[in-house]
Amino acid sequence: MAQIKLQNIAHSYNPNSVDSKYALKPFDMTWVDGGRYAILGPSGCGKSTMLNIMSGIVKPSEGRLLFDGVDVTDETTSDRNIAQVFQFPVIYGTMTVHDNLAFPLVCRGYDKSFIESKVNEVAEALSLEGLLSQSARKLTADQKQLISLGRGLVRDNVAAILMDEPLTVIDPDLKFRLRRKLKEINQKYQSTLIYVTHDQNEAMTFAENIIVMDDGEIVQVGSPAELFDRPRTTFVGYFIGAPAMNLFECDVVDSNSIKFGSEKISTETDLKSVNGENIKLGIRAEYVQLMKSSAKNTVQAKVESVDDWGNHKLISANFEGNIIKVKVKREVEVPAENVYLRFPTNNCCIYENEILVP
Amino acid sequence: MNFKHKYLFLLPGFLVLLGILIFPIGFTVRLSLSSWDSFFPGLDFIGLENYTRLFTDDPRFWEAFQRLSFMSVITVFLQYTIGFALAHMVWKEIKFQRFFRVLFLIPMMTTPVIMTVIWKTVFHESLGPVNDFFSLFGVTPLWLSSEALSKVTVIIVEVWQWTPFMFLLLLAGLLSLPKEPFLAASIDGAGPIRKFVYVTFPLMAPISIGAIIIRLIEASKIMDTVYVLTSGGPGTSSETSSFYIFIKGLREFQFGYSAALSLTYLIIMIISLTIIAKMLVKLMIRS
Repeated sequence: MAQIKLQNIAHSYNPNSVDSKYALKPFDMTWVDGGRYAILGPSGCGKSTMLNIMSGIVKPSEGRLLFDGVDVTDETTSDRNIAQVFQFPVIYGTMTVHDNLAFPLVCRGYDKSFIESKVNEVAEALSLEGLLSQSARKLTADQKQLISLGRGLVRDNVAAILMDEPLTVIDPDLKFRLRRKLKEINQKYQSTLIYVTHDQNEAMTFAENIIVMDDGEIVQVGSPAELFDRPRTTFVGYFIGAPAMNLFECDVVDSNSIKFGSEKISTETDLKSVNGENIKLGIRAEYVQLMKSSAKNTVQAKVESVDDWGNHKLISANFEGNIIKVKVKREVEVPAENVYLRFPTNNCCIYENEILVP
Repeated sequence: MNFKHKYLFLLPGFLVLLGILIFPIGFTVRLSLSSWDSFFPGLDFIGLENYTRLFTDDPRFWEAFQRLSFMSVITVFLQYTIGFALAHMVWKEIKFQRFFRVLFLIPMMTTPVIMTVIWKTVFHESLGPVNDFFSLFGVTPLWLSSEALSKVTVIIVEVWQWTPFMFLLLLAGLLSLPKEPFLAASIDGAGPIRKFVYVTFPLMAPISIGAIIIRLIEASKIMDTVYVLTSGGPGTSSETSSFYIFIKGLREFQFGYSAALSLTYLIIMIISLTIIAKMLVKLMIRS
């Protein structure tokens, strides 16, 4: 276990070319020992690059990497004591499950009795004890992925377990069980788990802290609730949550209200310092309230469509050319024509140049 | 619905198949039951006489077949080992990688018959450079006219000529391997030998089997090298099955008998290659 610190890390895959573009822009980050993190972002945003820098597969073109204060930037992958689980399960097909789990210890020259006890302990934690003597090739995808993970767990000095979309090839219901298993493992071994995914549900249910990335930059670090309630940029608001956050152009009226179309909307945000152009109002579809009649902070909109999402309904309503999405419980009666939609003051986020006004 | 007209569309393909495959095989079968030779040409019918002669009275064919099995197994084994080593060498980033990759392919781009003539000159016992070198140590091996060495010479030339093909297949295989298993092995702390034994070799097993089978089929047809280099000699000591069938058919014009030889040879090859393929799969994948 160790605290991992990235100091001013940046990476470009072609650092010497004229128009060298950063795959990962310079940043600092500290991973707390024993934490459970998810790195979330669209494809090509640099999340795998960040993971590969930590495991040593990629050497950063700038910056230092510290494990418990020791500089490991130039150390090889095997010297770093990192475990990594890849998108597709990696197993040694010619070996039994037992030998697969023992392999990292055998390579490091531990003695037999230690290896036995470690392998048995990890196999028990991963519920693989019945399969130890089987050939690893014949297992199912999720069992193979557990073995990949197990090979990380047998070494007890592992600084962190890095996972690069590890559940992509797993069936949905197994995914759920495996995620729970990962949480248990994290609690039992107190190991730092860092999990890359582009699936927000996976990130939300798994991690204590989510790192949202876009275009080589860390956009926001926070708990699932923070990301949902107060997205720091419009990108996060758009990327997290289904449907994406409602975002409308608006103008500032005074220190705590804005003009959205012809309506005045109050917020709890202090808008004194805001005077720029490009102001946006953001509100989650979950927080917009359906009202019987006109009230404060309410707009009247015309219902355009109602989609059935199983346990929810998604209303799309048109207010002066803006489409407002509202998520309501399926029992709620939706008027056919006009609806009154209330924007609760504490749920309105105001963005200036795509960045949240605090 | 009536689909009778579909046969019309199948016809061109069927005709081609008939012309190049079905008719020749059928004709060979019929030919093998005749005594057609240069004295009495014609499709008479002598029953299984040719086959009886082959199984009871022709040790030369079976010796040639044994020799062929020995030589093709040895050449393919050497080609595989050397080819894998070379492919492994230029697989990773090394200096002049492109240069080496092309260099190793040159033998394959040359014409086998012409190269064999050149090799024959190289191994020439009194004029060739090889014996120039060996004479420094006071020996002049009879590369082409000693019973044991003529086989070795054929094997050397075959290995030189066809290792590049093995190299090409195995390099393509290596380049198509996924990266993750190698990264995972690095993370697990495996050194280069463990990586090769537990990652590279098992991942390459299917490709290896394919390459070995292709080369075995090719090697069992070995003919031009033998023809040019030793003409099966001295005596019959480097004669292979196909070369023997060639002698019976196209030198002695015993068409009927050589047809029987060809068919027997074909059936033995099909059976033995099937068994070898099964064994390789068992050996390399299931172990």
